[in-house]
Amino acid sequence: MCLPLMNNTSLLLTLFAAIAAALALLTALRPELTRVRGGKILAFMALCILPALAMWAGVNEHLERSTSTQFCLSCHVMADFGESLHVDDKSYIPAVHFQNHFVPPDHACFTCHTDYTLFGDYKAKWRGVHHVLVQYLGKIPKPEEIKLYTAYNNRECLHCHAGMRKYEEASSHHKNPEMLSQAATNQLSCISSGCHDTVHDVATLKDVTFWTPKGNGK
Amino acid sequence: MTATLMERRIRWSGLLIVVGLLLQMLTLPLTHPLAFVGFLFLGCPLVAAGMLFFLYSLVAHDTAH
Repeated sequence: MCLPLMNNTSLLLTLFAAIAAALALLTALRPELTRVRGGKILAFMALCILPALAMWAGVNEHLERSTSTQFCLSCHVMADFGESLHVDDKSYIPAVHFQNHFVPPDHACFTCHTDYTLFGDYKAKWRGVHHVLVQYLGKIPKPEEIKLYTAYNNRECLHCHAGMRKYEEASSHHKNPEMLSQAATNQLSCISSGCHDTVHDVATLKDVTFWTPKGNGK
Repeated sequence: MTATLMERRIRWSGLLIVVGLLLQMLTLPLTHPLAFVGFLFLGCPLVAAGMLFFLYSLVAHDTAH
């Protein structure tokens, strides 16, 4: 379990939930309070408004936190994928993005593994819930056996790279004149067309060297 | 003084909400998938059930009159 020092938001939400719980308990233990008008108002606040607010705020906090790298890597089976972010080899796409902060290091997994569509975040969360169920109730695969549900969509790469000068002018992206348009329409995959095809490659981690940030890097 | 039916319902809904909120408070400091699932599939349904039961008790009380 990851027990970080509580940040201010978590502390405030816990305090709010505690106040809501205390008022709900008071109402539960002394329901006769509701015989007067003030008690009715108290009961409505304690049993309806405050719990609803606490629940809504808690869901938001948990959803936000579930996009963190720490959250994704807290399952043992993901440890190798976390290590692959520190490989000292520029051909490892996730490593080069993570180490150069091309993706926010605190939200590295989610940045690349969410669908940039209307319900992409929720689909990713739903898949995450499925992973948790497998983690505790199912058969956990070996890290090297873990595969994506569907082929990686270029849309997720182009969310950042589209329109980028370095991307559009790279000579390797002009090996044939149709290359960029084929990538844009997903006919040519960025990661499986012999171009950027070294992704996490967790099966080969024992043969690689790792980079450790100097100074106060994360 | 004996508690009325509505007061008994309020007691139950209050207890459900308290248990749900306590579970939510336990999971809030944790950054872990199990905490997320516990919050979403245990804490939230308990709180929601308590709130709905309270609202039902109001409606049922009103109908009885």
